[in-house]
Amino acid sequence: MTRFRTVDLLVTVLIGAAFGVAFLGYGQLYTLIGPLTAVFKPAEGLLAGIWFLPAVLAALIVRKPGAALLAEMIAAVLEMLLGGQWGWGTAVSGLLQGGGVELAFALLRYRRFTLPVAMLGGACAGMLEWVWERFAYYPEMSWTFAVMLLAAFLLSGAVLGGALGWAASRALAATGAVDSLASGREHARTVEA
Amino acid sequence: MRAPSRPETAPAPLRLQGLTWRPLTRREPTIAGLDLEIPAGQRVLLAGASGSGKSTVLRALAGLLDPETGEGSGLAPAPARPGERGLLLQNPAHALVAASVGRDAAFGPENAALPRSEIRARADDALAAARVDLDPSRAPLEASGGQQQRVALAGALALGPDLLLLDEPTSMLDAATSQQVRTAILEAARDRTLVLAEHRIEPWLPHVDRLVVLGPQAEVLADGEPLALLRERRALLVEAGVVEENGDRSTSADGAAGAAHDGPVVAALRGVTVPARGLRDTIDLEVPSGRITVLTGPSGAGKTTALRVMLGATAPATGSVERPERERIASVPQNPEHSFVARTVREEVLASPWAGDEQFAAQLLDRSGLAHLAGAHPSRLSGGEQRRVAIVAALAQRPSLLALDEPTVGLDARRRREVRDLLTEAAAQGCAVLVASHDPELIDHAHETLVLPASAEPAAPSARARRIPADALNPLTLCLIGILAALGSFAVQTWQGGLLALLPLALLAPLAVRTLRGGLLRLVPILLSAAGLAWTTALLGEAPALSGDAWLLGLKEAARIMVFVAPGVLALGSVEVTALGDALGGRLRLPARPVAAAVVALVRVGHLGRQWEIITRTRVQRGLGSPASPRLLASSTLALLVDTLRGAEQQALAMDSRGFATATQRTWAEPSRLSRADLVGTALAVGLLVWPLAAELIVR
Repeated sequence: MTRFRTVDLLVTVLIGAAFGVAFLGYGQLYTLIGPLTAVFKPAEGLLAGIWFLPAVLAALIVRKPGAALLAEMIAAVLEMLLGGQWGWGTAVSGLLQGGGVELAFALLRYRRFTLPVAMLGGACAGMLEWVWERFAYYPEMSWTFAVMLLAAFLLSGAVLGGALGWAASRALAATGAVDSLASGREHARTVEA
Repeated sequence: MRAPSRPETAPAPLRLQGLTWRPLTRREPTIAGLDLEIPAGQRVLLAGASGSGKSTVLRALAGLLDPETGEGSGLAPAPARPGERGLLLQNPAHALVAASVGRDAAFGPENAALPRSEIRARADDALAAARVDLDPSRAPLEASGGQQQRVALAGALALGPDLLLLDEPTSMLDAATSQQVRTAILEAARDRTLVLAEHRIEPWLPHVDRLVVLGPQAEVLADGEPLALLRERRALLVEAGVVEENGDRSTSADGAAGAAHDGPVVAALRGVTVPARGLRDTIDLEVPSGRITVLTGPSGAGKTTALRVMLGATAPATGSVERPERERIASVPQNPEHSFVARTVREEVLASPWAGDEQFAAQLLDRSGLAHLAGAHPSRLSGGEQRRVAIVAALAQRPSLLALDEPTVGLDARRRREVRDLLTEAAAQGCAVLVASHDPELIDHAHETLVLPASAEPAAPSARARRIPADALNPLTLCLIGILAALGSFAVQTWQGGLLALLPLALLAPLAVRTLRGGLLRLVPILLSAAGLAWTTALLGEAPALSGDAWLLGLKEAARIMVFVAPGVLALGSVEVTALGDALGGRLRLPARPVAAAVVALVRVGHLGRQWEIITRTRVQRGLGSPASPRLLASSTLALLVDTLRGAEQQALAMDSRGFATATQRTWAEPSRLSRADLVGTALAVGLLVWPLAAELIVR
């Protein structure tokens, strides 16, 4: 079923909007690792994965082609409208991060919504985001450090984006908040079995 | 004034025959064989305890039970035209879709792809018919609950429904506001069929033709003329949880008063005002231990604000606050799910570091009749059970002050009594119980009551923002400026060129900055990230770290990134979500439903922010960590998602009842105009695209 019912569409865009709001609170996480990143900027890449969460969660919950991309784009547009410091760069990031996650689920023809696929999705998003940041933000960075940045993006994408997103989707299914969606129905089947 | 006209043909009676429904996530059907025929023009009141399937019956009548989420038989067909059957839900906030009252009323006609002139006429008529007395430019999500429910009613009326289906439309409102909403609904339903589900049936009885009492799985327990049923089958109605037993109130209240003694004052507000949040008159309030103190007053009087001041969430403008130390205060938010953090009821009750006594927790669960649910997931419980779990979790802290925001709202008679009993018990144990509530039974039940006066004036709409030249541009032009400027920035090759490329920015910025503060708020983050980039480049670039060359490279990068982002960030400051939606959907013809849904989500951001604040504050108050702790952020995000996704289901229903499911060809109420100013804007955009390249040629 690839048709988006109204509830699929709304859940997708609201995941994007809710994360847009939560991200404002996440800024404080950067102050936690501040001392580390001041000395060694690529360390900031270790937090990159949290930005991919809207895409991973939307894909896992709604399970329809395009959900990951749409949710991530909404979060990005919201950040832009609120005055995020990367301006239109945010839209490109949203496109590439959402697209990266989308890519992993598309490779498996939207039939598998498991932890490994979610981690692959997070890593793909990290890969594409790195290409963009290398090109737009860090063209003068030496290759040694750029490769370290890539490693951080891949690791963070797979763990903080993919694995954490997968865990969050399971926790959400347990609450019953997604009962009317594909992921909620699967949860009900596994509980009954 | 009458509601927008409907087709002249007389509608056929509404008929459900052998309706069954089982959601795929449940073992038991919620409706097991219901026959119901409703002649056109009849007014029917559906009554029954929570969980009797009233809401599902209404959804079935609306033709909105989704075969993807359950299996059933005897389902009514989908509406023949958009909005043929209007549906109003318990929480009016779920029905609201737009940034302004006017656009909200226009949502249905837009989905029906009506021409612009007709959309406007219908929205105006519907707002008048629903007695919405707000300025059409006001934000509906910031209006009071009563106003919101009338805006929702207008949203349904704008499509000229034959049938109005109402799911507990006044259960979240105080008595006076309920009366106003009831009047508006009955007026609007004068020449329509009306089917209504309610917990508090008394106020509706004089106005309905028929009362249908539902038992478990929507079994019809009684069906007939309302007053006759009330007279002849009272016992059955009491048993079904539809009416309260006579005399029930006085006994429990006296019992509570007898058990408690006047304790010492544990918390107090003295001379407190918070004009910014509507509390203009001075409040003096003492909360003694062993007593239930209720803060009440009409909606908008500041009950919740007074509670927030007591809890330290809002600073008073004047006056002083006395409260116990942090770990002796427990609070329960209006939506109990906002406080939940654990996967089982048992863990939930012990989650706070100040609630470590397992035996005491078990006792509390036992006494409140929740012991059998100790292993269940708190979020999977019914609304009444969730409230009690949240209260028990608060009591497990052994607080000296327990503060609750509307703990009985939306519950049926039996569940309200259970909550009251729990509060009585808490007071009897010596706790000072402070409740903000408009529940008349709870007020009767309290030992002390403080009535806040109606707020002198409704919160004034924010002053008109200063107009700036950027406002004259279509959102698409504003986007183009940012995009082309970003593309142009890649021409920056040297630090001299970069600095020169920044020149037009300094000249144009005043055209897009409304206030100095707003402009700084947008520019400072850019400056900081540019400085960060300069530092990173100087440190990690190809040149020797922190050498003179490395710093010049860093300066170039800082200038380039500012040329890249600043025009876009400043231009986006004038883009409004609704106008952007009109441009993308109406002008660029992007797929209508995703664009419209995106607007619905983005206009809720302020609302989502308020939920986020409540969720994080409740967790901090439970002693679960600081607002910067990753664990608290993770659990808050999950709670925000639970709240949002539960709402999404209701919102989808409300939108589909207004024709959104089929709105692939919808129209847009406002034109997305392109004017001469946009020509100038486009020229500017092209200028910003080529200027960095020109700057490089100049400095070379």
